[in-house]
Amino acid sequence: MLSTVLGRRAPFFLSLLAGMALWEIVGRNTSPAFMVPLSETLVRFWQLVDSGQFGAQFLDSAKLFLTGLVLALVVGMPFGMLLARVQSLRTALEPYIMVLYATPMVALIPFILSIMGFGFTPKVLVVFLFAVFPVLYNTVEGARSIKPEMIEVARSFRSSEWALWREVMVPYTLPFTMTGVRQAIGRGLVGMVAAEFFLSSTGLGQLIMSSSQNFDTSGVLAMILMIGLIGVGLMRVGQMIENHFARWRV
Amino acid sequence: MAETNASIVMPSAVKPATRTNRTGGFLLPRVLAGFGIMLVWEVVVRLTAPAYVAKPSGIVLVIPKVLVDPKFLEATVQTLGAVAQGLLIALALGTVIGLLIGRSATMERMLRHYINGFYAVPMIVILPLVTLWFGYTSAARLATIVFAAIFSIIINVADGARAVPREFLEVAASFRSGRLRTMIDIVLPASTPYFLAGLRLAAGRALIGAVVAEFFAAIGGLGYFILYKSRIFQHNEAFVGVLLLAAFGVGFEVLIGGSTRRFLPWYRRDEKAD
Repeated sequence: MLSTVLGRRAPFFLSLLAGMALWEIVGRNTSPAFMVPLSETLVRFWQLVDSGQFGAQFLDSAKLFLTGLVLALVVGMPFGMLLARVQSLRTALEPYIMVLYATPMVALIPFILSIMGFGFTPKVLVVFLFAVFPVLYNTVEGARSIKPEMIEVARSFRSSEWALWREVMVPYTLPFTMTGVRQAIGRGLVGMVAAEFFLSSTGLGQLIMSSSQNFDTSGVLAMILMIGLIGVGLMRVGQMIENHFARWRV
Repeated sequence: MAETNASIVMPSAVKPATRTNRTGGFLLPRVLAGFGIMLVWEVVVRLTAPAYVAKPSGIVLVIPKVLVDPKFLEATVQTLGAVAQGLLIALALGTVIGLLIGRSATMERMLRHYINGFYAVPMIVILPLVTLWFGYTSAARLATIVFAAIFSIIINVADGARAVPREFLEVAASFRSGRLRTMIDIVLPASTPYFLAGLRLAAGRALIGAVVAEFFAAIGGLGYFILYKSRIFQHNEAFVGVLLLAAFGVGFEVLIGGSTRRFLPWYRRDEKAD
Protein backbone atom coordinates (compact mmCIF):
# COMPACT_ATOMS: atom_id res chain seq x y z
CA MET A 1 0.00 0.00 0.00
CA LEU A 2 2.67 2.44 1.06
CA SER A 3 4.87 1.44 -1.85
CA THR A 4 2.08 1.99 -4.41
CA VAL A 5 1.40 5.44 -3.00
CA LEU A 6 5.10 6.17 -3.19
CA GLY A 7 5.21 4.78 -6.70
CA ARG A 8 2.44 7.07 -7.82
CA ARG A 9 3.84 10.05 -5.99
CA ALA A 10 7.46 9.51 -6.97
CA PRO A 11 7.32 11.25 -10.39
CA PHE A 12 5.71 14.26 -8.74
CA PHE A 13 8.41 14.68 -6.11
CA LEU A 14 11.18 13.81 -8.52
CA SER A 15 10.04 16.42 -11.01
CA LEU A 16 9.65 18.97 -8.22
CA LEU A 17 13.23 18.27 -7.12
CA ALA A 18 14.41 18.39 -10.74
CA GLY A 19 12.71 21.76 -11.22
CA MET A 20 14.29 23.15 -8.09
CA ALA A 21 17.71 21.80 -9.08
CA LEU A 22 17.34 23.29 -12.55
CA TRP A 23 16.48 26.68 -11.09
CA GLU A 24 19.48 26.50 -8.75
CA ILE A 25 21.91 25.47 -11.51
CA VAL A 26 20.67 28.01 -14.04
CA GLY A 27 20.76 30.68 -11.36
CA ARG A 28 24.32 29.91 -10.38
CA ASN A 29 25.56 29.96 -13.96
CA THR A 30 24.05 33.20 -15.22
CA SER A 31 24.57 36.80 -14.38
CA PRO A 32 22.69 37.70 -11.17
CA ALA A 33 21.03 40.52 -13.11
CA PHE A 34 19.10 37.89 -15.08
CA MET A 35 18.51 34.94 -12.82
CA VAL A 36 19.21 34.15 -9.21
CA PRO A 37 19.40 30.66 -7.70
CA LEU A 38 16.41 29.32 -5.81
CA SER A 39 18.31 29.34 -2.51
CA GLU A 40 19.03 33.06 -2.81
CA THR A 41 15.42 33.73 -3.80
CA LEU A 42 14.17 31.95 -0.71
CA VAL A 43 16.61 33.82 1.53
CA ARG A 44 15.44 37.10 0.01
CA PHE A 45 11.85 36.07 0.49
CA TRP A 46 12.51 35.33 4.14
CA GLN A 47 14.07 38.78 4.52
CA LEU A 48 10.96 40.38 3.05
CA VAL A 49 8.72 38.42 5.41
CA ASP A 50 10.96 38.98 8.41
CA SER A 51 11.14 42.74 7.91
CA GLY A 52 7.35 42.91 7.89
CA GLN A 53 7.27 44.41 4.39
CA PHE A 54 5.59 41.40 2.88
CA GLY A 55 2.91 41.12 5.55
CA ALA A 56 1.89 44.76 5.34
CA GLN A 57 1.74 44.80 1.53
CA PHE A 58 -0.06 41.47 1.46
CA LEU A 59 -2.82 42.82 3.68
CA ASP A 60 -3.06 45.90 1.48
CA SER A 61 -3.47 43.78 -1.65
CA ALA A 62 -5.89 41.41 0.05
CA LYS A 63 -8.11 44.34 1.04
CA LEU A 64 -8.17 45.59 -2.55
CA PHE A 65 -8.83 42.15 -4.02
CA LEU A 66 -11.59 41.20 -1.60
CA THR A 67 -13.40 44.55 -1.87
CA GLY A 68 -13.44 44.34 -5.66
CA LEU A 69 -14.43 40.70 -5.74
CA VAL A 70 -17.22 41.05 -3.18
CA LEU A 71 -18.60 44.07 -5.05
CA ALA A 72 -18.51 42.06 -8.28
CA LEU A 73 -20.47 39.25 -6.65
CA VAL A 74 -22.95 41.56 -4.94
CA VAL A 75 -23.68 43.30 -8.25
CA GLY A 76 -23.15 40.41 -10.67
CA MET A 77 -25.17 37.68 -9.02
CA PRO A 78 -28.52 39.44 -8.44
CA PHE A 79 -28.31 41.22 -11.79
CA GLY A 80 -27.49 37.96 -13.53
CA MET A 81 -30.44 36.25 -11.85
CA LEU A 82 -32.72 39.11 -12.83
CA LEU A 83 -31.62 38.71 -16.42
CA ALA A 84 -32.19 34.99 -16.04
CA ARG A 85 -35.85 35.49 -15.17
CA VAL A 86 -36.84 38.48 -17.26
CA GLN A 87 -36.46 37.15 -20.74
CA SER A 88 -36.93 40.39 -22.64
CA LEU A 89 -34.24 42.10 -20.58
CA ARG A 90 -31.93 39.18 -21.21
CA THR A 91 -32.33 39.11 -24.98
CA ALA A 92 -31.81 42.86 -25.06
CA LEU A 93 -28.65 42.96 -22.94
CA GLU A 94 -27.04 39.60 -23.70
CA PRO A 95 -24.89 40.70 -26.65
CA TYR A 96 -23.48 43.62 -24.68
CA ILE A 97 -22.55 41.42 -21.75
CA MET A 98 -20.85 39.03 -24.16
CA VAL A 99 -18.91 41.88 -25.73
CA LEU A 100 -17.80 43.24 -22.36
CA TYR A 101 -16.84 39.73 -21.26
CA ALA A 102 -14.55 39.42 -24.29
CA THR A 103 -13.11 42.95 -24.05
CA PRO A 104 -9.67 43.17 -22.45
CA MET A 105 -10.57 45.34 -19.45
CA VAL A 106 -6.94 46.38 -18.96
CA ALA A 107 -7.46 48.76 -21.85
CA LEU A 108 -9.73 50.86 -19.61
CA ILE A 109 -7.06 51.47 -16.98
CA PRO A 110 -5.62 54.64 -18.58
CA PHE A 111 -9.11 56.21 -18.60
CA ILE A 112 -9.73 55.29 -14.99
CA LEU A 113 -6.36 56.73 -14.07
CA SER A 114 -6.89 60.08 -15.72
CA ILE A 115 -10.51 60.48 -14.58
CA MET A 116 -10.35 59.13 -11.04
CA GLY A 117 -6.71 59.57 -10.09
CA PHE A 118 -4.73 57.60 -7.57
CA GLY A 119 -7.00 56.68 -4.67
CA PHE A 120 -8.32 53.36 -3.44
CA THR A 121 -11.65 53.67 -5.29
CA PRO A 122 -10.27 53.58 -8.86
CA LYS A 123 -8.27 50.48 -7.97
CA VAL A 124 -11.33 48.75 -6.59
CA LEU A 125 -13.12 49.71 -9.80
CA VAL A 126 -10.41 47.96 -11.83
CA VAL A 127 -10.73 44.73 -9.83
CA PHE A 128 -14.51 45.00 -10.06
CA LEU A 129 -14.46 45.43 -13.84
CA PHE A 130 -12.15 42.45 -14.24
CA ALA A 131 -14.32 40.24 -12.02
CA VAL A 132 -17.94 41.18 -12.69
CA PHE A 133 -18.36 40.08 -16.30
CA PRO A 134 -17.42 36.43 -15.86
CA VAL A 135 -20.09 36.22 -13.14
CA LEU A 136 -22.72 37.93 -15.29
CA TYR A 137 -21.83 36.08 -18.46
CA ASN A 138 -21.93 32.63 -16.90
CA THR A 139 -25.14 33.32 -14.99
CA VAL A 140 -26.88 34.44 -18.18
CA GLU A 141 -25.43 31.46 -20.01
CA GLY A 142 -26.86 29.18 -17.33
CA ALA A 143 -30.23 30.86 -17.39
CA ARG A 144 -30.38 30.43 -21.14
CA SER A 145 -29.96 26.69 -20.82
CA ILE A 146 -32.89 26.20 -18.41
CA LYS A 147 -35.32 23.94 -20.22
CA PRO A 148 -38.58 25.78 -20.80
CA GLU A 149 -40.40 22.60 -19.75
CA MET A 150 -39.12 23.03 -16.21
CA ILE A 151 -40.72 26.42 -15.92
CA GLU A 152 -43.86 25.19 -17.67
CA VAL A 153 -44.19 22.31 -15.24
CA ALA A 154 -43.72 24.64 -12.29
CA ARG A 155 -46.33 26.98 -13.79
CA SER A 156 -48.87 24.25 -14.42
CA PHE A 157 -48.58 23.25 -10.79
CA ARG A 158 -49.46 26.87 -10.02
CA SER A 159 -46.08 27.62 -8.53
CA SER A 160 -45.81 31.15 -7.17
CA GLU A 161 -43.10 33.46 -8.51
CA TRP A 162 -41.18 33.11 -5.26
CA ALA A 163 -41.34 29.30 -5.36
CA LEU A 164 -40.28 29.32 -9.00
CA TRP A 165 -37.14 31.25 -8.06
CA ARG A 166 -36.41 29.17 -5.02
CA GLU A 167 -37.01 25.76 -6.56
CA VAL A 168 -36.03 26.19 -10.21
CA MET A 169 -34.22 29.36 -11.19
CA VAL A 170 -31.68 29.70 -8.39
CA PRO A 171 -30.71 26.03 -8.01
CA TYR A 172 -30.40 25.65 -11.76
CA THR A 173 -28.27 28.73 -12.48
CA LEU A 174 -26.11 28.68 -9.33
CA PRO A 175 -23.55 26.15 -10.63
CA PHE A 176 -23.07 28.27 -13.75
CA THR A 177 -22.68 31.37 -11.60
CA MET A 178 -20.05 29.55 -9.58
CA THR A 179 -18.09 28.78 -12.74
CA GLY A 180 -18.17 32.54 -13.23
CA VAL A 181 -17.04 33.10 -9.65
CA ARG A 182 -14.03 30.87 -10.19
CA GLN A 183 -13.12 32.77 -13.36
CA ALA A 184 -13.71 36.02 -11.50
CA ILE A 185 -11.21 35.02 -8.81
CA GLY A 186 -8.54 34.43 -11.45
CA ARG A 187 -9.30 37.60 -13.37
CA GLY A 188 -9.67 39.64 -10.21
CA LEU A 189 -6.14 38.69 -9.23
CA VAL A 190 -4.84 39.96 -12.57
CA GLY A 191 -6.90 43.12 -12.05
CA MET A 192 -5.44 43.58 -8.60
CA VAL A 193 -1.83 43.43 -9.82
CA ALA A 194 -2.68 45.58 -12.86
CA ALA A 195 -4.22 48.23 -10.59
CA GLU A 196 -1.17 48.15 -8.35
CA PHE A 197 1.19 48.43 -11.31
CA PHE A 198 -0.54 51.10 -13.33
CA LEU A 199 -2.51 53.16 -10.82
CA SER A 200 -0.96 54.17 -7.52
CA SER A 201 1.70 51.69 -6.55
CA THR A 202 0.73 49.79 -3.42
CA GLY A 203 0.62 46.26 -2.10
CA LEU A 204 2.39 43.29 -3.58
CA GLY A 205 2.52 45.00 -6.98
CA GLN A 206 4.52 47.84 -5.48
CA LEU A 207 6.88 45.37 -3.83
CA ILE A 208 7.64 43.79 -7.23
CA MET A 209 7.98 47.17 -8.92
CA SER A 210 10.42 48.53 -6.34
CA SER A 211 12.47 45.31 -6.45
CA SER A 212 12.62 45.54 -10.21
CA GLN A 213 13.61 49.22 -10.15
CA ASN A 214 16.42 48.42 -7.71
CA PHE A 215 17.60 45.60 -10.00
CA ASP A 216 16.91 43.25 -7.10
CA THR A 217 16.32 40.14 -9.20
CA SER A 218 15.98 37.88 -6.18
CA GLY A 219 13.27 40.16 -4.82
CA VAL A 220 11.38 40.04 -8.13
CA LEU A 221 11.62 36.26 -8.29
CA ALA A 222 10.62 35.88 -4.65
CA MET A 223 7.51 37.99 -5.24
CA ILE A 224 6.58 36.17 -8.46
CA LEU A 225 6.92 32.85 -6.63
CA MET A 226 4.74 34.15 -3.81
CA ILE A 227 2.02 35.64 -6.00
CA GLY A 228 2.11 32.46 -8.07
CA LEU A 229 1.49 30.36 -4.98
CA ILE A 230 -1.33 32.70 -3.94
CA GLY A 231 -2.79 32.30 -7.43
CA VAL A 232 -2.62 28.50 -7.20
CA GLY A 233 -4.23 28.57 -3.76
CA LEU A 234 -7.06 30.85 -4.92
CA MET A 235 -7.68 28.66 -7.98
CA ARG A 236 -8.04 25.67 -5.66
CA VAL A 237 -10.54 27.57 -3.54
CA GLY A 238 -12.48 28.57 -6.65
CA GLN A 239 -12.50 24.99 -7.87
CA MET A 240 -13.81 23.79 -4.52
CA ILE A 241 -16.58 26.37 -4.52
CA GLU A 242 -17.55 25.37 -8.05
CA ASN A 243 -17.51 21.65 -7.33
CA HIS A 244 -19.55 22.15 -4.20
CA PHE A 245 -22.36 23.86 -6.09
CA ALA A 246 -22.13 21.71 -9.21
CA ARG A 247 -22.69 18.39 -7.47
CA TRP A 248 -25.98 17.72 -9.19
CA ARG A 249 -24.67 18.65 -12.64
CA VAL A 250 -22.76 15.36 -12.93
CA MET B 1 -9.01 22.65 -16.05
CA ALA B 2 -12.62 23.33 -15.35
CA GLU B 3 -12.22 26.51 -17.29
CA THR B 4 -11.76 24.26 -20.30
CA ASN B 5 -14.95 22.41 -19.49
CA ALA B 6 -16.88 25.61 -19.13
CA SER B 7 -15.64 26.92 -22.42
CA ILE B 8 -16.49 23.73 -24.21
CA VAL B 9 -20.00 23.70 -22.85
CA MET B 10 -20.72 27.10 -24.29
CA PRO B 11 -20.83 26.51 -28.03
CA SER B 12 -23.16 23.56 -27.78
CA ALA B 13 -25.32 25.23 -25.16
CA VAL B 14 -25.54 28.41 -27.19
CA LYS B 15 -26.53 26.69 -30.37
CA PRO B 16 -30.26 26.06 -30.03
CA ALA B 17 -30.91 29.39 -28.37
CA THR B 18 -29.19 31.53 -30.98
CA ARG B 19 -31.06 29.78 -33.71
CA THR B 20 -34.45 30.55 -32.30
CA ASN B 21 -33.24 34.05 -31.49
CA ARG B 22 -32.33 34.74 -35.07
CA THR B 23 -35.69 33.65 -36.37
CA GLY B 24 -37.58 35.18 -33.46
CA GLY B 25 -36.66 38.75 -34.36
CA PHE B 26 -34.88 39.83 -31.22
CA LEU B 27 -32.94 42.41 -33.15
CA LEU B 28 -35.21 45.30 -32.21
CA PRO B 29 -34.88 45.04 -28.40
CA ARG B 30 -31.13 44.62 -28.79
CA VAL B 31 -30.73 47.70 -30.93
CA LEU B 32 -32.99 49.66 -28.60
CA ALA B 33 -30.97 48.53 -25.59
CA GLY B 34 -27.80 49.61 -27.37
CA PHE B 35 -29.18 53.07 -27.96
CA GLY B 36 -30.41 53.18 -24.38
CA ILE B 37 -26.96 52.37 -23.01
CA MET B 38 -25.34 55.01 -25.21
CA LEU B 39 -27.94 57.60 -24.23
CA VAL B 40 -27.36 57.01 -20.52
CA TRP B 41 -23.60 57.19 -21.04
CA GLU B 42 -23.89 60.42 -23.04
CA VAL B 43 -26.15 62.10 -20.51
CA VAL B 44 -24.14 61.03 -17.46
CA VAL B 45 -20.86 62.22 -18.99
CA ARG B 46 -22.35 65.53 -20.15
CA LEU B 47 -23.85 66.26 -16.75
CA THR B 48 -21.13 65.09 -14.41
CA ALA B 49 -17.76 64.65 -16.12
CA PRO B 50 -15.19 67.08 -17.55
CA ALA B 51 -15.29 67.73 -21.29
CA TYR B 52 -12.37 65.45 -22.22
CA VAL B 53 -14.09 62.29 -20.97
CA ALA B 54 -15.11 59.94 -23.79
CA LYS B 55 -18.78 59.98 -24.77
CA PRO B 56 -20.61 58.28 -27.65
CA SER B 57 -21.15 61.44 -29.70
CA GLY B 58 -17.51 62.40 -29.35
CA ILE B 59 -16.30 58.92 -30.26
CA VAL B 60 -18.49 58.72 -33.36
CA LEU B 61 -17.13 62.07 -34.52
CA VAL B 62 -13.48 61.05 -34.18
CA ILE B 63 -13.77 57.53 -35.62
CA PRO B 64 -13.19 58.58 -39.27
CA LYS B 65 -10.20 60.67 -38.26
CA VAL B 66 -8.60 57.95 -36.10
CA LEU B 67 -9.14 55.18 -38.62
CA VAL B 68 -7.01 56.95 -41.24
CA ASP B 69 -4.40 58.12 -38.73
CA PRO B 70 -1.19 56.37 -39.81
CA LYS B 71 -0.05 56.16 -36.19
CA PHE B 72 -3.19 54.28 -35.24
CA LEU B 73 -2.87 51.90 -38.18
CA GLU B 74 0.76 51.25 -37.38
CA ALA B 75 -0.09 50.57 -33.74
CA THR B 76 -2.81 48.12 -34.78
CA VAL B 77 -0.46 46.25 -37.10
CA GLN B 78 2.21 46.09 -34.41
CA THR B 79 -0.08 44.72 -31.72
CA LEU B 80 -1.92 42.26 -33.92
CA GLY B 81 1.31 41.10 -35.55
CA ALA B 82 2.78 40.40 -32.13
CA VAL B 83 -0.38 38.61 -30.98
CA ALA B 84 -0.43 36.44 -34.13
CA GLN B 85 3.25 35.63 -33.83
CA GLY B 86 2.96 34.82 -30.12
CA LEU B 87 -0.10 32.65 -30.69
CA LEU B 88 1.70 30.69 -33.41
CA ILE B 89 4.65 30.00 -31.10
CA ALA B 90 2.30 29.06 -28.26
CA LEU B 91 0.28 26.79 -30.57
CA ALA B 92 3.30 24.92 -31.90
CA LEU B 93 4.93 24.40 -28.52
CA GLY B 94 1.68 23.98 -26.61
CA THR B 95 0.31 21.29 -28.92
CA VAL B 96 3.46 19.17 -28.67
CA ILE B 97 3.67 19.46 -24.88
CA GLY B 98 -0.09 18.95 -24.53
CA LEU B 99 -0.04 15.75 -26.60
CA LEU B 100 2.89 14.41 -24.56
CA ILE B 101 1.11 15.12 -21.29
CA GLY B 102 -2.20 13.78 -22.52
CA ARG B 103 -0.84 10.48 -23.80
CA SER B 104 1.87 9.67 -21.31
CA ALA B 105 1.03 9.07 -17.66
CA THR B 106 4.59 9.69 -16.53
CA MET B 107 4.84 12.99 -18.36
CA GLU B 108 1.50 13.94 -16.93
CA ARG B 109 2.60 13.27 -13.36
CA MET B 110 5.86 15.08 -13.92
CA LEU B 111 4.61 18.20 -15.67
CA ARG B 112 0.97 18.63 -14.74
CA HIS B 113 1.52 20.59 -11.55
CA TYR B 114 3.99 22.90 -13.27
CA ILE B 115 1.52 23.63 -16.06
CA ASN B 116 -1.39 24.18 -13.68
CA GLY B 117 0.83 26.28 -11.45
CA PHE B 118 2.03 28.54 -14.26
CA TYR B 119 -1.53 28.80 -15.56
CA ALA B 120 -2.69 30.09 -12.18
CA VAL B 121 0.05 32.74 -12.00
CA PRO B 122 -1.52 36.07 -12.94
CA MET B 123 0.46 36.65 -16.14
CA ILE B 124 0.95 40.30 -15.39
CA VAL B 125 3.42 39.63 -12.52
CA ILE B 126 6.02 38.28 -14.92
CA LEU B 127 6.35 41.68 -16.62
CA PRO B 128 9.15 42.97 -14.37
CA LEU B 129 11.10 39.77 -14.97
CA VAL B 130 10.44 39.77 -18.70
CA THR B 131 11.62 43.36 -19.04
CA LEU B 132 14.69 42.44 -17.02
CA TRP B 133 15.45 39.63 -19.47
CA PHE B 134 14.46 41.18 -22.77
CA GLY B 135 14.67 44.87 -22.01
CA TYR B 136 11.96 47.35 -22.93
CA THR B 137 11.61 45.88 -26.42
CA SER B 138 8.99 44.14 -28.51
CA ALA B 139 10.68 40.84 -27.57
CA ALA B 140 9.41 41.42 -24.04
CA ARG B 141 5.89 41.79 -25.44
CA LEU B 142 6.23 38.61 -27.47
CA ALA B 143 7.43 36.68 -24.41
CA THR B 144 4.48 37.97 -22.38
CA ILE B 145 2.04 36.91 -25.10
CA VAL B 146 3.52 33.42 -25.33
CA PHE B 147 3.45 33.04 -21.54
CA ALA B 148 -0.15 34.27 -21.42
CA ALA B 149 -1.33 31.94 -24.18
CA ILE B 150 0.61 28.70 -23.97
CA PHE B 151 -0.74 27.14 -20.79
CA SER B 152 -4.40 27.16 -21.74
CA ILE B 153 -3.44 25.46 -25.02
CA ILE B 154 -1.36 22.81 -23.25
CA ILE B 155 -4.13 22.09 -20.74
CA ASN B 156 -6.84 21.81 -23.38
CA VAL B 157 -4.81 19.74 -25.82
CA ALA B 158 -3.87 17.38 -22.98
CA ASP B 159 -7.54 17.05 -21.98
CA GLY B 160 -8.46 16.38 -25.58
CA ALA B 161 -5.72 13.79 -26.06
CA ARG B 162 -6.92 12.01 -22.95
CA ALA B 163 -10.53 12.02 -24.12
CA VAL B 164 -9.82 10.14 -27.36
CA PRO B 165 -12.19 7.14 -27.38
CA ARG B 166 -10.31 3.97 -26.51
CA GLU B 167 -11.76 2.07 -29.50
CA PHE B 168 -9.96 4.40 -31.91
CA LEU B 169 -6.65 3.63 -30.27
CA GLU B 170 -7.36 -0.09 -30.14
CA VAL B 171 -8.18 -0.20 -33.83
CA ALA B 172 -5.00 1.73 -34.58
CA ALA B 173 -2.97 -0.61 -32.40
CA SER B 174 -4.42 -3.72 -34.00
CA PHE B 175 -3.43 -2.38 -37.40
CA ARG B 176 0.07 -1.97 -35.96
CA SER B 177 0.11 1.77 -36.36
CA GLY B 178 3.25 3.37 -34.93
CA ARG B 179 3.11 5.77 -31.99
CA LEU B 180 3.86 8.88 -33.99
CA ARG B 181 1.41 7.85 -36.69
CA THR B 182 -1.34 7.32 -34.11
CA MET B 183 -0.61 10.72 -32.58
CA ILE B 184 -0.80 12.59 -35.87
CA ASP B 185 -3.63 10.70 -37.55
CA ILE B 186 -5.87 9.85 -34.63
CA VAL B 187 -5.16 11.69 -31.39
CA LEU B 188 -4.63 15.09 -33.00
CA PRO B 189 -7.81 15.18 -35.12
CA ALA B 190 -9.91 13.69 -32.32
CA SER B 191 -8.85 16.41 -29.91
CA THR B 192 -9.47 19.32 -32.31
CA PRO B 193 -12.55 20.66 -30.47
CA TYR B 194 -10.56 20.87 -27.23
CA PHE B 195 -7.74 22.46 -29.14
CA LEU B 196 -10.11 25.13 -30.47
CA ALA B 197 -11.51 25.76 -27.01
CA GLY B 198 -7.96 26.26 -25.78
CA LEU B 199 -7.17 28.54 -28.67
CA ARG B 200 -10.19 30.67 -27.83
CA LEU B 201 -9.04 31.17 -24.27
CA ALA B 202 -5.46 31.67 -25.41
CA ALA B 203 -6.41 34.37 -27.92
CA GLY B 204 -8.20 36.41 -25.26
CA ARG B 205 -5.31 36.07 -22.86
CA ALA B 206 -2.77 36.90 -25.57
CA LEU B 207 -4.59 40.15 -26.33
CA ILE B 208 -4.52 41.10 -22.65
CA GLY B 209 -0.85 40.14 -22.46
CA ALA B 210 0.01 42.36 -25.41
CA VAL B 211 -1.81 45.40 -23.99
CA VAL B 212 -0.37 44.95 -20.53
CA ALA B 213 3.17 44.61 -21.88
CA GLU B 214 2.72 47.77 -23.94
CA PHE B 215 1.52 49.69 -20.90
CA PHE B 216 4.33 48.41 -18.77
CA ALA B 217 7.24 48.76 -21.15
CA ALA B 218 5.96 51.60 -23.37
CA ILE B 219 6.23 49.47 -26.52
CA GLY B 220 4.50 50.92 -29.59
CA GLY B 221 1.10 49.35 -30.26
CA LEU B 222 -2.63 49.69 -29.59
CA GLY B 223 -2.18 49.56 -25.83
CA TYR B 224 0.41 52.28 -25.93
CA PHE B 225 -1.77 54.32 -28.30
CA ILE B 226 -4.58 54.17 -25.74
CA LEU B 227 -2.23 55.08 -22.91
CA TYR B 228 -0.71 58.00 -24.81
CA LYS B 229 -3.98 59.46 -26.08
CA SER B 230 -5.61 59.27 -22.68
CA ARG B 231 -2.62 60.99 -21.10
CA ILE B 232 -2.97 63.93 -23.44
CA PHE B 233 -6.70 63.97 -22.61
CA GLN B 234 -7.93 62.81 -26.01
CA HIS B 235 -10.18 60.18 -24.49
CA ASN B 236 -12.47 59.92 -27.51
CA GLU B 237 -9.53 59.02 -29.73
CA ALA B 238 -8.19 56.59 -27.15
CA PHE B 239 -11.56 54.89 -26.89
CA VAL B 240 -11.52 54.02 -30.58
CA GLY B 241 -8.55 51.82 -29.67
CA VAL B 242 -10.59 50.13 -26.95
CA LEU B 243 -13.41 49.51 -29.44
CA LEU B 244 -10.96 47.89 -31.83
CA LEU B 245 -9.57 45.66 -29.07
CA ALA B 246 -13.11 44.67 -28.09
CA ALA B 247 -13.87 43.89 -31.73
CA PHE B 248 -10.87 41.58 -31.89
CA GLY B 249 -11.81 39.90 -28.62
CA VAL B 250 -15.34 39.27 -29.85
CA GLY B 251 -14.12 38.37 -33.35
CA PHE B 252 -11.95 35.56 -32.00
CA GLU B 253 -14.84 34.21 -29.92
CA VAL B 254 -17.27 34.24 -32.83
CA LEU B 255 -14.75 32.85 -35.31
CA ILE B 256 -13.79 29.90 -33.14
CA GLY B 257 -17.30 29.19 -31.89
CA GLY B 258 -18.54 29.33 -35.50
CA SER B 259 -15.81 27.12 -36.91
CA THR B 260 -16.40 24.51 -34.21
CA ARG B 261 -20.00 24.30 -35.32
CA ARG B 262 -19.23 24.52 -39.02
CA PHE B 263 -16.25 22.20 -39.36
CA LEU B 264 -16.67 19.84 -36.43
CA PRO B 265 -20.38 19.05 -36.55
CA TRP B 266 -19.61 15.56 -35.26
CA TYR B 267 -18.56 17.04 -31.97
CA ARG B 268 -21.29 16.96 -29.36
CA ARG B 269 -20.17 17.39 -25.83
CA ASP B 270 -23.31 15.87 -24.36
CA GLU B 271 -22.61 12.58 -26.12
CA LYS B 272 -19.41 12.01 -24.28
CA ALA B 273 -20.41 13.78 -21.11
CA ASP B 274 -18.09 12.77 -18.32
